[in-house]
Parts: sequence; C-alpha cells; structure tokens
Amino acid sequence: MLKCWKRIVVFSMALSALVLQAAEQKSYKAVATVGMIADIVREVAGEHAEVEGIIGEGVDPHLYKPTRKDVVTLSQADIIFYNGLMLEGKMGYVLVRVGRKNKPVYAVTEEILDQGGYVMTDEAEHYDPHVWMDVQGWIRAVDVVVRGLSEFDPEHAAYYSANGAAYQKELEELDAYAQAVIASIPENQRVLVTAHDAFNYLGRAYGLNVQGIQGLSTESEAGVQDIETLINFLSERNIPAVFVETSVADKNVRALVEGAKAKGHTVKIGGELYSDAMGVPGTYEGTYIGMIDHNVTTIARALGGTAPAGGMQDKLNHAH
Amino acid sequence: MIWLPFDTWIVIIGALCAVACALPGCFLVLRKMSMMGDAISHAVLPGLAIGFLLTGSRSSLPMFIGAAVVGVLTAIFTQWISRFGRVDRGAAMGIVFTSLFALGLLLIVQASDQVDLDPGCVLYGAVELTPLDVIHTFHFVGSEIEVPRAAVSLGVVVLLNSLLILLLFKEFNLSSFDPSLATTVGINATVMHYLLMAMVAITTVASFEAVGSIIVIAMLVVPASAAYLLTDRLSVMLGLSAVIGILSAGLGHLGAITVPLWFGFESTTTSGMMACAAGFLFALIWVFSPRYGLLARKFRRKGKVENE
Repeated sequence: MLKCWKRIVVFSMALSALVLQAAEQKSYKAVATVGMIADIVREVAGEHAEVEGIIGEGVDPHLYKPTRKDVVTLSQADIIFYNGLMLEGKMGYVLVRVGRKNKPVYAVTEEILDQGGYVMTDEAEHYDPHVWMDVQGWIRAVDVVVRGLSEFDPEHAAYYSANGAAYQKELEELDAYAQAVIASIPENQRVLVTAHDAFNYLGRAYGLNVQGIQGLSTESEAGVQDIETLINFLSERNIPAVFVETSVADKNVRALVEGAKAKGHTVKIGGELYSDAMGVPGTYEGTYIGMIDHNVTTIARALGGTAPAGGMQDKLNHAH
Repeated sequence: MIWLPFDTWIVIIGALCAVACALPGCFLVLRKMSMMGDAISHAVLPGLAIGFLLTGSRSSLPMFIGAAVVGVLTAIFTQWISRFGRVDRGAAMGIVFTSLFALGLLLIVQASDQVDLDPGCVLYGAVELTPLDVIHTFHFVGSEIEVPRAAVSLGVVVLLNSLLILLLFKEFNLSSFDPSLATTVGINATVMHYLLMAMVAITTVASFEAVGSIIVIAMLVVPASAAYLLTDRLSVMLGLSAVIGILSAGLGHLGAITVPLWFGFESTTTSGMMACAAGFLFALIWVFSPRYGLLARKFRRKGKVENE
C-alpha cells in the first residue's frame, strides 16, 4: 500500500515536471486574478513571462467561484498579482496565505494604499477596490507590477522598468483622452447613473457625479425611495442617459428608465459599461486601454458630449 | 486528465464535510427538519452584519462567530415557534429564517451600505481553494505532505459530532422517534433537541466557512434521505449516510474534472458537482433500494396480487 502511494507521488511529480517543462520556453509563469491586472503584467513582463488571468470576461469578481483549473494555475504560478481590498472576496485571504509560503504575491491596490490618501474610503476605513476606473490609479498599479517583477527576476529589472514606463506613457495618453471627452459633456449633465457603486474613482478623476442604484454589496437592494429620488434628480437635471454594466444584472437600471418614463422624462440606456471585468479576450475591449476607452467614449456620447465613435484609437466596435 | 496531490485533498475535505453534515443530517431527516441547513445559510446574514458593526472588520473570525451565534439562534427560535405557536416545523423554520434574513438586509442597508458584506464574499469558502491554505507541513515516506486548514477544522467537527452521537446514542435515538417515551424514561427530549440543533448550527457554519454553502445544504439532506431508504435502524442509517456522503464527494470531484471535458468545456465547480453526485446516488437508491425502492415496491405489489 505504502509502495503504491509512493509510486503515485513519484508519478505525479514526474508529470508535473513534464507540465513545467512545457512552459519552459518562457522563463516563468505569472498569474493575475482580474483581467485588468493581467493586462499590466503582460505589458511589463513582455517576452519573459507567460501570463494568465483567472477571472474571465463578464464575471463579477466579488462572486467568482474558483474551479480546479484555477487552483492548478495558482499552484504552478511563480508570481501572483491580485487586486486586494476584498475585490476577490475570500480568495484574497487564501492568496495572502499562499504569499506566506515563499511565493511572491502582490495585492496591487493594497500597495497603492501606502501612497497617502489615494485610495477611496468611507469614514470607517473600508476601501473601495475599483481603483482601475481612474487611469492615474492604474498608472500607480504599473509601478507595483514593475517592482514585483523586478524583485522576482532582478536580472531583467531594467527591461521591466522600460516596459512599465512605455505602458505608463500610453496610459497617460488614455487619461488625457478621458479628461477631454468627459469635459465635453455639458456641465450640468455630468452625471453617471449605474447599477452599483463601481465608478467612484472614475467620478473623482474626471469630474462626474456618480450615482449607484444599489450599494456596494450585491446582497443589498435598491429601496423604492432611492429610486424615486434618483428619478426626480434625473428629470430635474435633464439627464439623457443611464448605464448598465456587463457584469451586473440590469434589472434596477431598467426599472429606473421605466419609472422616469412614467414621470414624463425620457431617459435612454446609454450603453453597457465594463465595471468589474473587461470585454472578450482578443478584442480591443478585452484590454485595459480598450475597456476605459469604451467606457469614457460611451459615457461622453450618451450624455451629450463629443467623442469620436471609434474612441481614442478608432478601434471601438460600436455595432451593438 | 492528471490527478494531482491537491485533488486528493479536495476529495478528502469534501468527504469530511459530507460526513460532518450527514451525521446530524440523519436526525434532521427523521425529525422532518431537513431544510435547516438552507434556513441557516440565509439566517447568517444579520450575524455577519452585527459582527461587522461590533468589530468594524470583515476578517474571518468575527464573521464566523456572528454567523455561528445566529445559526444557533435560528434553531432555538424555530423550536420556540413550533412549540408555542402551534405551527409545524417547516413553517416555523420559514418564519425564522426569512425574518432573520430580512433583518440582516435592513442592518446592511442602514449601517453599512458602503461595504460589501454578502455571505458569498466574507463567509463562504470554496472547496477548490482549500488545498492552497496550508496550516501544517510534515514529511511522510520521503514526500512532503501539506495539510490544509479546512481538513483540520472539518476533521475536528467530524470527530466532535461522532463523539457526541456515540456518547448520547440512546438518548438521541429515543427522543427522535418517540419524545414522550423518552421523557417517561427520564431523558429530557427538549434538551436533546437543543443539543442537536446547536450541533447542526455549528457544523453548518463551520462547513460554510471551509467549503461554501451548496455542498453543505446538500450533504445535510441527501445522504441521510438516501440512507433512510435503505434501512430501518438508526445506527445503520448513520453509517450508510456517511458512506454515501464520502462516495458523493469522490464521484463529485471526479465528475467535476472529467464530465465537462466530454462536452469540450474546462473543469467545472467541484462543490456543485458533489451536490449533483449526491442527488444522483439518491436517485439510484430511490429506484433500486431492496426494500423501499421503486422497483422493489412494484415487484412486491405484483407478487402480492399473484399470491392472492
């Protein structure tokens, strides 16, 4: 019996060695939880790492249920990046414990936390994890990834910081574009109404008044009075559009549109925004830049601003 | 498909959870309170909210304590209402858990709407991730073995539940089937009931924390019901339910990593598949059980008619 066990152990070790060898062409494997972080790691690590994201398109990371494949991915990873601030729920705790076992694990937004007052919080020190909504915030996240990869692989540190700087330059352009198109919206219409509170960073960075219909928790529900107040607010300010999110059910937003119609104010659904997850991998919206480009372009066009239909780089696909 | 060491751990942890839940589950099924696990899974919400309001943090311990306290309260309130309110236990459970869940929603909306406090985020674990959360490492015949935290915590629950049932077997047995007889021979059936409910509540919350909700709810009901179709003896039923639970855990994980491949998908969630496997085993037993199975009953009736 013992011998049999031993054989199984040896066999599985040999197999995992084989699997590792298959990945040997790239020198190590980096894993990120959400696509937005995987995108940074891909840009910074370049040819040196094989990068894999765990949580796919259109999935709410708060509610993500890991599968066996994810565990295989995580246990084979050489370095792990995750968002933190409870975005990944209990998976975050597990990753912290993985990090204590000599595996480099970085909570990207929690590293930014030390940089004095950037991360948003309510009075009770509960942090808002949706940092990527502000491009400046994500520029800081690039620094965290560059530092993490350089600590893990000091040999290529110069390469990583060069890649990081190049990517940050692209992000600066994106940031400038976002500032410009949001500023083109008439001032009293700079109001963003969505299903849940994922856009606070975007609001702060680009001067939008953000109103979520339901709170941060997916368990809490919108009260009738909240919807009433919001409808009055919409018709007072003559807001032309509200928005749905790809990873959150749009029931509440549709209720809002119906409610406004009953009051004689026409609000249309301005489009789908990417909040907690990016678009289909392989498309422009499946990258971080494409995601933000899509969001700000959609918002600006629906609220009466001017923005090119194709977005910053004329790559947006506005078929829908 | 490659079977890795942590697959073994996932099955072991699933099996431990199944046994921990199946043992008290037998008594729940006998007392017609099978949905207690489901009730507790909803009722924990105010516990989480109060734990959060008192400590101001979403770390595991206050969440766990809050949930465990409310779990026990659910059981107690259910008993009160069914005894003094003259409604059956199913209805009493329904009243208690919906009220508690609603209270939890009110607390969250009033006090902490800016914080993500749903059980899926702060309380429920995932059986797939448990092998990564290692508490102890030791060496055994030349290979390193990493023991996950969940295996230890669920192991303790299994041990406590079996000890309690072994020590108080006669009392539990009698008070489950005939509370008035139990009282006449000097067993306090009410105390036994509260003891059992406390056991269910703590088992449920500990298992939620380790492996998530669906597998726990399933394992409280399904293995015990399946075992109930196979035997009339409580001791045999307890043993069989544990075996069925272990089988569902093994089959479930195997299913989770092989079945989706046949249809060209990647592996699916293990806890869902374990619950499905339990349902599948129940269906088999329901049809083929030698005494109470569908076929057996059909043939017996036929035999009877022919004899007449």
